[in-house]
Amino acid sequence: MSYSVDRRGLLRAAGAAAATAALGGALASCGSGSSGPVTLTWWDYFTLDNFQPGMNRLIADIESGVPDVKIERRTFPFAELDRQLALAAISGDLPDIAIVDNVAMNTLGGNHLLADLTSRVAKWGQADQYYKGPWDGCQVGGKTLGIPNNSNCLALYCNTRMLKSAGVRPPTTWDELASTAHRLASGDRYGLALSAIRTEEGVFQFLPFLWQSGGDLDTFGTYGATALSFLHDLIAKGSLSEQCVGWTQQDVNTRFLNQRAALQINGPWQIPTLKKASFDWDVVPLPRDREAATCLGGENWVVTATSRHIDKAWEVLEYTQRPSVLVPYLVSFGDLPSRKDLADQGTWASDPALRLFLSQLPLARPRQYGPHYADASQAVAEAEQAVFTGAASPSGAARTAAVRIDKALGKQ
Amino acid sequence: MKPSPFPSARRRRAGYLFCLPGMTFLALFLAYPLCYTVWTSVHDVDLGQLLGGAERFNGLDNYRAVLDDPAFWHAVRLSLIFTLGSLLLQFTLGFALALLFARPFPFNGLLRSLLLVAWLLPPVVSGTLFRWMLDAESGAYNALLAAVGLGGLGHDWLTDPSTSLAGVIFANVWVGVPFNMLLLLVGLHTIDPELYEAAAIDGAGAWQRFRHITLPLMRPVSVTVLLLGLLYTFKVFDIVFVMTGGGPVDATRVLSLYVYEVFFTSFRFGQGAAAGLLLLVVPLLAGVFYVRRLRREDETPAGGAV
Repeated sequence: MSYSVDRRGLLRAAGAAAATAALGGALASCGSGSSGPVTLTWWDYFTLDNFQPGMNRLIADIESGVPDVKIERRTFPFAELDRQLALAAISGDLPDIAIVDNVAMNTLGGNHLLADLTSRVAKWGQADQYYKGPWDGCQVGGKTLGIPNNSNCLALYCNTRMLKSAGVRPPTTWDELASTAHRLASGDRYGLALSAIRTEEGVFQFLPFLWQSGGDLDTFGTYGATALSFLHDLIAKGSLSEQCVGWTQQDVNTRFLNQRAALQINGPWQIPTLKKASFDWDVVPLPRDREAATCLGGENWVVTATSRHIDKAWEVLEYTQRPSVLVPYLVSFGDLPSRKDLADQGTWASDPALRLFLSQLPLARPRQYGPHYADASQAVAEAEQAVFTGAASPSGAARTAAVRIDKALGKQ
Repeated sequence: MKPSPFPSARRRRAGYLFCLPGMTFLALFLAYPLCYTVWTSVHDVDLGQLLGGAERFNGLDNYRAVLDDPAFWHAVRLSLIFTLGSLLLQFTLGFALALLFARPFPFNGLLRSLLLVAWLLPPVVSGTLFRWMLDAESGAYNALLAAVGLGGLGHDWLTDPSTSLAGVIFANVWVGVPFNMLLLLVGLHTIDPELYEAAAIDGAGAWQRFRHITLPLMRPVSVTVLLLGLLYTFKVFDIVFVMTGGGPVDATRVLSLYVYEVFFTSFRFGQGAAAGLLLLVVPLLAGVFYVRRLRREDETPAGGAV
């Protein structure tokens, strides 16, 4: 008998303790506006050592510049952050602030995990300072769910010496790209390298071709076939290696660095590595077909819907957008600004390669397709792989993918 | 001394007490997640419903959606090919190596230990190694083929949809052979050498001794090895994920990868849970069969097959 009393007593005590703790927490959160610093949790995926000084300085800057705020930062590997956010949503401990890949706005924003910042942004009144693509990428269902952190896009890198010795100039159209890449291929060297891996990375590299052909995901059956058959021809002529179905963008850059590809499609984050190259290179806009287009990359700052400190978090976000805070941060990361008013400051104003990428930002389109974009993206990746490995014809693969894409985008 | 009135009851209570830590562990880390998965599998759960807490009970809809998905059946087919292919090769090669290592020869122990390294390597490491070795441009296998004048047989092993599954099976067999060999070797050691001597005196050749002594006596061990192999192989994820990520296209998207993608790429938790439970069916059946056999083996005296 005495056992059960003890156990019940213990349970009661534990319950009381839990209730006190909860009440204490509630009281603390009520009082947070007036007294004591607010601790904001902050998640991002900048795990590499070279990002840490810049990030630490940004956070120190925020903590001294925004009153009563402390930042508690946690980092995850790139591929892990979305998954961790989903798991945190299940367990109910989402961070207050996160820096997410701009494509994650589809799943996170589309599934109501992010706080609506629309009215705060309207009061702030700086929306028109941003490039259209990055800003549009933060709008989901008519609401502003984030602020661009930094932006990038894809362009075409050229090995200057190889182009010169082949007597060709950087291509500006699809036709020129096809003939130039063909001229540049020789021996175990391919004309062009790009990534067609079966992940979002491959889709990021493919979408510009789809858009350049004049189409989009909702017309994939027609224009997807055009883009796929253009790339398929490059492979058939030996200008592009079908091995690209296994390459990440990092692998592509390695090919280019080892001079086993004369042209490569890649982003500005490769510039620091390429500056150590033993050869001269140049970077030009992606060749155009019916339209000129490139794909928007980069990150957004978001506040989660469950945060109890949305106002404070917004204050932090607003603070980071001051040129005196944002420019040193972007420079230390080697990133490009998403704001037009910063175009003449920082390294990107003087470095010709960064300048070229910045000049392409107005053409960069966000992947803004709604909560089930991941399914559409997978369909695109598989279509590309099927065509490149010879498992399907461009038109057949495009038709198959179009059915899945329409379903994912709710067009059926 | 008079025995206690309820000796068995008291002892049973003590027994329960000793079981408690283990039972708690199982309840927390096995029963709870499993029940949660079952619960998820009959609710309409995706990322959007997580915060609102508005998961709707939808009966068997998730199961129906999974069973209607051609990609699921494709994954089932791949998993079966992967498992059967791996088991067949692992077992045959493992058996052959066990027969070899059962005889004394110089460096027997050293070589056996070296072979085990393959099994001890983390799958991420062995997967990465094989991805490099099977690479079309800079891979070791194509270089080897070229070195012996068979460069024409060089191939894009992992990026060609028609050979990528074979490439993954190849790597998995390499990982699994030492494990098979080790268990089969133990089995071979339990066979009484006198049986072979007697058979030899009766004029049985090497093949006849193998056919009529080794094979029948190895049957119980073989079934165990194959069942354990089935359990391990059917749910394999890491080595495939590292080597091909399920591609090219969907040529190596086995069931475990399919479940992973439904969960963590599409964030359809309900369907993912349903698919995950369906993935459990084959190992569960094998597991039940295995436990049954163990029990039967306990009942029959050792060497019962003779």
